[in-house]
Amino acid sequence: MSLDEPLRVMVVDDHPMWRDAVARDLEAAGFAVVGTATDGAAAVRIATAVRPDVVVMDLQLPELSGVGATERIVATLPATRVLVLSASGEQTDVLEAVKAGATGYLVKSASVSELVDAVRRTAAGDATFTPGLAGLLLGEYRRLATGGPEPEAGPQLTDRETEVLRLVAKGLTAKQVAARLVLSHRTVQNHVQNAMSKLHVHNRAGLVRYAIEAGLDTDES
Amino acid sequence: MSLARPARGRVGGAVVRFVAAATGRPTIGDPGIGVDVSAWRALAVFRALTLLYAVIVNLADLRQVAHPGWCLATLGVMVAWTGFASYAYTKPAWREGRLLPVADMAVTILTIVATLLVETAARIATGELTVPTVWGAAAPLAWAIRWRLAGGMAGACCIAVANFAVDRGHPTRATVHSLILVFLAGAVIGYVIRLAERAEGVLAEAVRLQAATSERERLSREIHDGVLQVLALLRRRGAELGGDVPELARLATEQEAALRALISSGPPVERVDGLVDLRELLASPSRSPHIHLASPATPVLLPAASAQQLAAAVGEALHNVKHHVGAEADAWILVESTPDNVVVTVRDDGPGIPPERLAAAEAEGRLGVAQSIVGRLRDLGGKALINSAPGEGTEVELHVPR
Repeated sequence: MSLDEPLRVMVVDDHPMWRDAVARDLEAAGFAVVGTATDGAAAVRIATAVRPDVVVMDLQLPELSGVGATERIVATLPATRVLVLSASGEQTDVLEAVKAGATGYLVKSASVSELVDAVRRTAAGDATFTPGLAGLLLGEYRRLATGGPEPEAGPQLTDRETEVLRLVAKGLTAKQVAARLVLSHRTVQNHVQNAMSKLHVHNRAGLVRYAIEAGLDTDES
Repeated sequence: MSLARPARGRVGGAVVRFVAAATGRPTIGDPGIGVDVSAWRALAVFRALTLLYAVIVNLADLRQVAHPGWCLATLGVMVAWTGFASYAYTKPAWREGRLLPVADMAVTILTIVATLLVETAARIATGELTVPTVWGAAAPLAWAIRWRLAGGMAGACCIAVANFAVDRGHPTRATVHSLILVFLAGAVIGYVIRLAERAEGVLAEAVRLQAATSERERLSREIHDGVLQVLALLRRRGAELGGDVPELARLATEQEAALRALISSGPPVERVDGLVDLRELLASPSRSPHIHLASPATPVLLPAASAQQLAAAVGEALHNVKHHVGAEADAWILVESTPDNVVVTVRDDGPGIPPERLAAAEAEGRLGVAQSIVGRLRDLGGKALINSAPGEGTEVELHVPR
């Protein structure tokens, strides 16, 4: 990806009107919309062919869910980032998408400029997050710390990460968090990003472990 | 006389079979059939089998009886009545009326009393069976199905009176024994039918709830795929156009948020253990596009009463935001759950309260709504903390122990 070339973006949404509107907005903002898809399976196929920089992904999709599509795209295309653009109230799905490796999450009620900004940041590898997502992350880490069979093996948040996530979940912008904790904007970003990627790594490790165990079982039997 | 013993055994066996049929699989497998329909069918089977038994017993005994003609005539009536009753009880209008069960009882009493015409007094006094034998239990069982426990008892009483008449006021041991079995059968069947009926009611309610839930899910899918997308689009495009359109877009936004909250949350469901998911309680205040709820993905369970109090406190805090910061002000709710307590934070981005004013207000005892929040939390064994600084907004932190 060179600097003068436009960012290559793909839009996945099962509602054609919405999908076209988002694609139009992104093209108007100077991005190259290199593909669109209306279901998860097609999204994986097309993404593999066109290798976009960013996939703007809805979560409620036919065939393969947005979470499943995210998982496969992230696994096969390490340079491609996924920005989830989804309706609010799909809490479990959003958390699963982050575990599957989505870089950012934006609600559909966000404005066009917020979307354009989020796509740009996602391409650069920066996390896009909402208070709702921060709440989900806090809940998930607490669940892992108390509910799991071997809590010490799961990922944990540092005190600073917890502090940052709590402020984000209470609606403070990254800028406000930075000011309150006397940190740089960049550091705040990194803390949230770490919290998200640790869950993804843990999830992927779990899947690998599961695959190995399942594979060993078949060999023995 | 020699047949008295096997006859008792048959009554018991038939009752067991009857109970099994009345409460068995068909009812549970198909709630549409209904308990009583199965029971009436089982009664028809009982009537036919006991008729067969009565015919065999009486024909074997035909040479010993005083008047074989009366015996055959009584058996004829029993055969005819069994045929008619088996048909008549399949008609809901007939079996749910009074005439059929009463006629059933009358015919049964007649066949019992007919024993006086068939047998000599001497043979009856030595414990000879009545002509219908166990067939006579069908009518009280019908009453038990029709009128439950009370019907079963009343029917058994009728049969008892008829038997006492045959024994001329001096019931034999065999008669007493058989009547006890009839009373027992009447009681058991009546009770079981009522129990099964109640279970059927519970099952029907469960099925109804399940249907309502799946219908709700279907609706929410439809709304999500259609209406919501259009509203979201309208809001998105509307904001960019001039004239009245932005106002329309704002209305679309509100409707979209309301609709989303409506389909994503029903009224909170109290679980069997009496706990409710706090997130569901807080879903309805967060219907406004200005209120943002952040919570774990998994249920945050609290006893129903505590959850209601906590939700009410959150409602007051939100009201406070509206009152002090503005009707269009944003507010954020964060729900956190730890093994020891549940913490709900309500925050706004308003001008905040200077610490000296907060202290002064407290000293003067006019914290108003804030005080009521603190009170609610104290009642729950928890606490409410209010953090505010000028320009930093206000945070109300509600702690409730588990």
